[in-house]
Amino acid sequence: MTSDGELIQRAAGGDRSAFEQLYQRYARPVFGLALRRLGDRGRAEDAVQETFASIWRSAGSYRPDRGPGAPWLYAVARNAIVDRARSRADLPAEIPDSADAEPGPSDQAEQSWVSWRVHRALEELPEREREVIALAYWSGLSQSEVADFLGIPLGTVKTRTRAALAHLADVLGEELG
Amino acid sequence: MKDFDELVDTGDLEPEEELRLRRVHDLLLAAGPPPELPAELSTPADPDRAQPETVPILFRRRRAAGAVVLLAAALAAFAGGYAFGHSNSSSDAFVARRDVPMHGAAGRFAVIHIAKKDAVGNWPMLIEVSGLQQQANPRAYYELWLTRNGKPVVPCGSFRVHAKTTRVRLSVPYTLRRYNGWIVTKQPPNDESVGPVVLRT
Repeated sequence: MTSDGELIQRAAGGDRSAFEQLYQRYARPVFGLALRRLGDRGRAEDAVQETFASIWRSAGSYRPDRGPGAPWLYAVARNAIVDRARSRADLPAEIPDSADAEPGPSDQAEQSWVSWRVHRALEELPEREREVIALAYWSGLSQSEVADFLGIPLGTVKTRTRAALAHLADVLGEELG
Repeated sequence: MKDFDELVDTGDLEPEEELRLRRVHDLLLAAGPPPELPAELSTPADPDRAQPETVPILFRRRRAAGAVVLLAAALAAFAGGYAFGHSNSSSDAFVARRDVPMHGAAGRFAVIHIAKKDAVGNWPMLIEVSGLQQQANPRAYYELWLTRNGKPVVPCGSFRVHAKTTRVRLSVPYTLRRYNGWIVTKQPPNDESVGPVVLRT
């Protein structure tokens, strides 16, 4: 598999297919990051477009000797999203009635990075593995119900889930510590 | 929360591999589900067009900022004239505490001026909209909404436009900090569902 860094370098040279591969890998993580930060789908869509316009424009500034591509892409996305957040309309402020229960900035940053990497890794899975992970983790269905839904034996669901987790572990590599 | 042991048969797994998969399991739970990509984002913009397209985005911002300045000047003139003409009627004076710019396609824009909340909990507002199409049908109108995560939650008032720039006074009793945006929708006649968005913050 071509690394993110290689794709960024090829995009810097005007390679459209490399740019499209980056888009396929990162459109969803960028959109997820933007949604969490901006809380508005329309503005998040704009942020995705701006992020990829920035990637295309500034790919030449990526230096592979300073690290892999994912953190560089994350930084470009964050800049585009923060830029859009700054332009956000200011609603009238009122003093909150109680302390905010939301996580603090460092927790949010950690959470954003984890989601970014995991959602990016999911893009690497074959469709049938991605599907079983989505159903198993986020649909609210039990494994038996997932089996019924997909029309496959329960054992196959478990085997496929395990294969998907192993595949994700390979992609996430360094993230697993 | 999903239990790893319910999802995977661990009987024949090496302990090291099981640990690795459990770590992925934890990361999946921490990350949450990836968002559904809107249809508009299913394919990338043409990279050759992506760069020029950033110009309109910047232009739009500058134009929106310029529009705010122009509208502020217009409002100042409007408010000055209003105050001058109604100097004995101070209860009608509108003093904006916050201005919320909105923008839409094809140069449409608006500013919501929000005054201090009154004694009984209403937020007086003055919305100035420009560039919206005048309604051909007498029962068509526009609707201002407060939104949460991009979705309209509570209506803030309906209006029709009658000129290039239209000013309408509205008032809402909501706790504004519970919401994080505004939209204006175009409401066709005889249809009370939420119409297409023409302006957003």
